Amino acid sequence: MTTLMSLPSLRAGARALGVAAVFAVAVPGAAHAQAKETLSFAAATFAESGRGDKLKLWVEKFNKSQSAIEVQPLALPFSTLAKTVFTQMGGGAGPDLVRFDLIDYYAAAQAQRILPLDADIKASDYKLTEPNKYLVIDGKRYGVPFEISNYQLIYNPQLLKGGKPPATFDEFLTAAKDATSDQVFGFAYRATMAESNGFWQDLCNFVYGFGGRWSDDQGNLTINSPKVVEGVIAYKKMYDLGATPKGADAATYRRMFWEKKLAMEIDNGGVAGIFSQQAPDLPLQAAPSPFPTRAQGLILAPLAINSNTKHKEAAVTFVKWMMQPENQKDLQAILGAANVATVIERTPEELAARPWLKVYDDQSPHSVPQLVKGFEARTPEIQQVILEQVLRVLQGGAEPQKAMDQAQRLVSTRVLRK
Amino acid sequence: MKTTTLDWRQALLMIVILGMLGITAFPIYWMLVTSTTASTDLFASPPHLLPGLSQWHVFREVFNTTDVGNWLINSAIVAVGTTVLSLLLAVLPAYALSRFRFAGIAIVGLALFVTQMLPEAMLVVPLYAIFGQLSLLNTLTGLILVNTAFTVPVITWILKGAIDGVPIDIEEAASIDGCSRIGTVFIVVIPLIAPTLAATAVIAFFHGWNEYVFAQTLVSAPELHTASVGLAGFVGELSTPLHSVMAIGLMYTLPAVFFYLLVQRYVVAGMTAGSVKG
Repeated sequence: MTTLMSLPSLRAGARALGVAAVFAVAVPGAAHAQAKETLSFAAATFAESGRGDKLKLWVEKFNKSQSAIEVQPLALPFSTLAKTVFTQMGGGAGPDLVRFDLIDYYAAAQAQRILPLDADIKASDYKLTEPNKYLVIDGKRYGVPFEISNYQLIYNPQLLKGGKPPATFDEFLTAAKDATSDQVFGFAYRATMAESNGFWQDLCNFVYGFGGRWSDDQGNLTINSPKVVEGVIAYKKMYDLGATPKGADAATYRRMFWEKKLAMEIDNGGVAGIFSQQAPDLPLQAAPSPFPTRAQGLILAPLAINSNTKHKEAAVTFVKWMMQPENQKDLQAILGAANVATVIERTPEELAARPWLKVYDDQSPHSVPQLVKGFEARTPEIQQVILEQVLRVLQGGAEPQKAMDQAQRLVSTRVLRK
Repeated sequence: MKTTTLDWRQALLMIVILGMLGITAFPIYWMLVTSTTASTDLFASPPHLLPGLSQWHVFREVFNTTDVGNWLINSAIVAVGTTVLSLLLAVLPAYALSRFRFAGIAIVGLALFVTQMLPEAMLVVPLYAIFGQLSLLNTLTGLILVNTAFTVPVITWILKGAIDGVPIDIEEAASIDGCSRIGTVFIVVIPLIAPTLAATAVIAFFHGWNEYVFAQTLVSAPELHTASVGLAGFVGELSTPLHSVMAIGLMYTLPAVFFYLLVQRYVVAGMTAGSVKG
């Protein structure tokens, strides 16, 4: 009979494994004596190459300014940040400060997982940026914008015919087709459920750009309205053009843009900032997205305080520090083509070095959150239904109007139970 | 003539095996190629099919600029701890299920699988709350315990199958020679089911090595992150450093692959143990 090893060897192996197990048990936890009151600040941004390190230094600046408080940056993977933080909150703990996505901010506020800040952060004390209004839910503010990022067309003039960006959707299609070759794609966006959140962001840009909205001011769904259908048809036209790397995820096609293998993409200011900081030789330029209206999606990432925190005062101290003009200026510079909670004017030097910043800044009045107005916390479920129907249009050849009629019906019955 | 036919068949079999090996190994090879391809050539058409000799520094760089060494050590501690604890906890229940008949044995056997019936995502919130009360959050001990809870049922049933295949006469002979029951288990039975033990050790090790949900949720201290969590952290909201991800992915994959190659024949033997009784 074949045996794995002799008995003495087994015993020796067991001893070794036992020692390893004892070592594992003996590994100390994170808890150790702290002279200062220590808070944790969870954000996906800390994990980003480039911006992450700079943000950690920015937090360190706060720590140096304090004698009794220390904020520890906690880098969580973007894909699982909300799930992880909500799990920890459900277990009665979690990070003290969290940089949420807007969609998760609404969910956290409705579940009372984050603290109202009205008593601590008074709007009258600051010159707040326009998107702050989206953080007020039922008259209460639960967070302040950490990052506000608009969407615009970014392009590589070297890869476009004539070096000029398209101004209309028809020009857009032509430019994308003309720029496409064996080595280069004209345009890239997402159209797979594997990247459903990114797919939603890109779809919102097309739909908003054509004047569509998912619901009206009275809270009625408008998923099958003519303007939304126009946006979906436009999405399909680009899909069928043969100018996009189908199936490529955002990480891949952004890298392609970086490597001059992609002529255009519609992306947020954070991405443009990363290109600018890490690929200085890239001839990056920006222009308003080539749609009938200026409306585009908006990345709005609020900073909020966990209701479970045992360090509320210290957390508020950090938020107030963040809101000071000097620290806002530093934060805006780190984030790239993004804005922050308060209005911070760009310096002439900044605008001269990066003229595309102004294009992004000018977009702010036209930006709309990628949420279903009136049903913000239900957006993930609504998004799922809409994307499934749009995929039927893109890949299954379904008729756009019928697909969106179906989406409207399914959202009403399955999600909103009407 | 017959020999020629045999040679031809063997050659065909060899080609099929090599083809399957190529398909299996290709993803790992492609990780190596991607991590050692210059950024400017990442999207070249046609793509580069060989690793770039000038780009090996990427492995040194990720070691210098990330905590990958620490992550791999933490993963190893969790995986080895899970393996040891799982085997220790599974041997005696497996023996009891195999050799004893008692009221409710079927229920006990089925109850072992309760943890398998519920997805991790459902258990993670209550476990987080319980671990908080027990001061097991932010410890590798907590991760070892939670992984063990998921591996023990599977291992118990595999070992039960192996013990079923050990002739009872051998144990009776040991008993006549004065060996106690517990002594029989450790001196007689365990050496005989060593291949199965190796197989279950691999199962436990891989579970501990790969587990992500609990490692991400129960441990927030960066110095205690496992490699699965560290690797996930590179997939950013706006950008993903492909070279780093592929290089670290390769470092994360290879130890497990080599470990499996070393013991795979025992795994096969162990998996089939008890399936044929004679």
